[in-house]
Amino acid sequence: MLVIALCKGRFLEPSLDLLARAGIRFSEDVASSRKLIFDSADKTRRVVLVKPADVPTYVEYGAADIGIAGRDVLLETRADVLQPLDLNFGQCKIAVAGAAGSRPDGPTIRVATKYPRITMDHYNARGIPVEIIPLSGSIELAPLIGLADRIVDLVETGRTLKENGLEVMEIIAESSARLLINRAGYQTKREEVRELIQALEKVVVYASR
Amino acid sequence: MKSYTQIPPGTQILIGHAARRRRVLERAICSVFEGWAYEEIIPPIFDYYDVFAKGWGQEAQIYRFIDREGNILALRPEFTSLVAKTVATRLAASLKPIRLFYSGEVLRFEKPKGGRQREFAQIGIEHYGGTAKSADVEILLVAVETFQRLGIQSFQINLGSVDFFGGIVDRMELPKEQIDALKEVLNVKDQPGLETLLQQLPLEERRKKILRAVPHLTGGRPVIAEARSLVKNTRSVNALDHLEDIYSIFEGLDLAQHLTIDLGEIRGFDYYTGILFRAYVHGLGFEVAAGGRYDGLPGAFGEDLPAVGFSFSLDRLEQIATPRLDSNATEDSAIEVDSDFSTALQFRQAGRTVKLCL
Repeated sequence: MLVIALCKGRFLEPSLDLLARAGIRFSEDVASSRKLIFDSADKTRRVVLVKPADVPTYVEYGAADIGIAGRDVLLETRADVLQPLDLNFGQCKIAVAGAAGSRPDGPTIRVATKYPRITMDHYNARGIPVEIIPLSGSIELAPLIGLADRIVDLVETGRTLKENGLEVMEIIAESSARLLINRAGYQTKREEVRELIQALEKVVVYASR
Repeated sequence: MKSYTQIPPGTQILIGHAARRRRVLERAICSVFEGWAYEEIIPPIFDYYDVFAKGWGQEAQIYRFIDREGNILALRPEFTSLVAKTVATRLAASLKPIRLFYSGEVLRFEKPKGGRQREFAQIGIEHYGGTAKSADVEILLVAVETFQRLGIQSFQINLGSVDFFGGIVDRMELPKEQIDALKEVLNVKDQPGLETLLQQLPLEERRKKILRAVPHLTGGRPVIAEARSLVKNTRSVNALDHLEDIYSIFEGLDLAQHLTIDLGEIRGFDYYTGILFRAYVHGLGFEVAAGGRYDGLPGAFGEDLPAVGFSFSLDRLEQIATPRLDSNATEDSAIEVDSDFSTALQFRQAGRTVKLCL
């Protein structure tokens, strides 16, 4: 039985929708239930629901053979997993933002973020000294009340930034939902895994191509 | 204040049952190695830093320190560089081929995962000075018997080659950064990432087609034919010939069911030069053994010799429970002696396990 780790939250519905189109259906309503483990109607696949940031970990350790998570989470965790498909939903950008027109002039820029590693890599590559302030939510608030000069965060439409008087300064990377596969499982469950990749590949909607 | 009651992250202590299990496993594997005429080598736990930096390549993971004379030393992060150095120096005059096995702890500053800490146990074999085909087959046969001896049925050894992918990129004449970028996306089979990269590379469509196929070249014998239809360069073709020869020999021995051809696997330490091995066991999310050919490594220490080796992770093998290994408890059969020391000595001379309760 293949175990698939899905994110709770905004990725859940499009993930389940994609699986359904690939023929993987569940007799229960996964999205509204409080359970964390669900077997598919034909008992060949099992879905487990975890926090988005934990999906790469479940897959790296082989607790799940397959996972669906945003590229942002992959870049941040640096999990050693295979990532063959872009599932083409959940598109957004990982961006540096700050108060419109602001120009920090201190020797070290203070950056608030949920993505300390991505942020560090970005500034290290440019040789710019930064102090990273790790936060877990409402990142946009940090530059407004003087906690940080800049933020690094996901930007989908840019509306939240705009409403808070912030603007995107730099794009670090594009993100969207990716399919993750455990390295050992890819080898030892090759047929099952390939079948699933091919089934998903057929139903992924490539809007822009 | 620092808590000295805890052991440092990445280390572990094995006690009682866990230690016994480790030793039983180790002895079982050593007996297989000895059965194929491999002799044990016990190298030092540290050596000059340059010994490891030269071939192994993962400098950031090496634990370094400076001795009182100012030399940079390193705790061994692996055995192969140490063994290759010994073979090329101390054993230079010995009759070839040389077959050696080792067992012990290595240290790497890396994120602990898959049951492997920063200090972990490796056990493996190395074969120096043989012909490529017979030495590669021999190493694989020893690996197969090791799994069988441990009662592990559902194991799979993947065969790849540095030269297959090497031959493909040689022809492309790309700068090193672009080859590294290619390796990075192929390493995780990142198809969208590969497409983005291919759009930037000045390559003919025919070559792009080869690169798109590489991540999928995994499976049984048909994979070799599929790969042949893609490449014409000598280096890649020789690699395929070699893999096919080995696969055929295993078919003849009725052991090919344990082999998988995996040309999409391009990871490996810097010192690898030819065939690559990686072994997986059903139900474990990490590889349990890895190895390959490193013909250049003894040469780096003064003597050019073909070399190939295979190394198992004891920490990971221990997670695949095999009842045969667990039944070896000595604790239960101990005789409790509560009379005097001389009775205890008599039981000991009779070979019994004695537990004093005086």
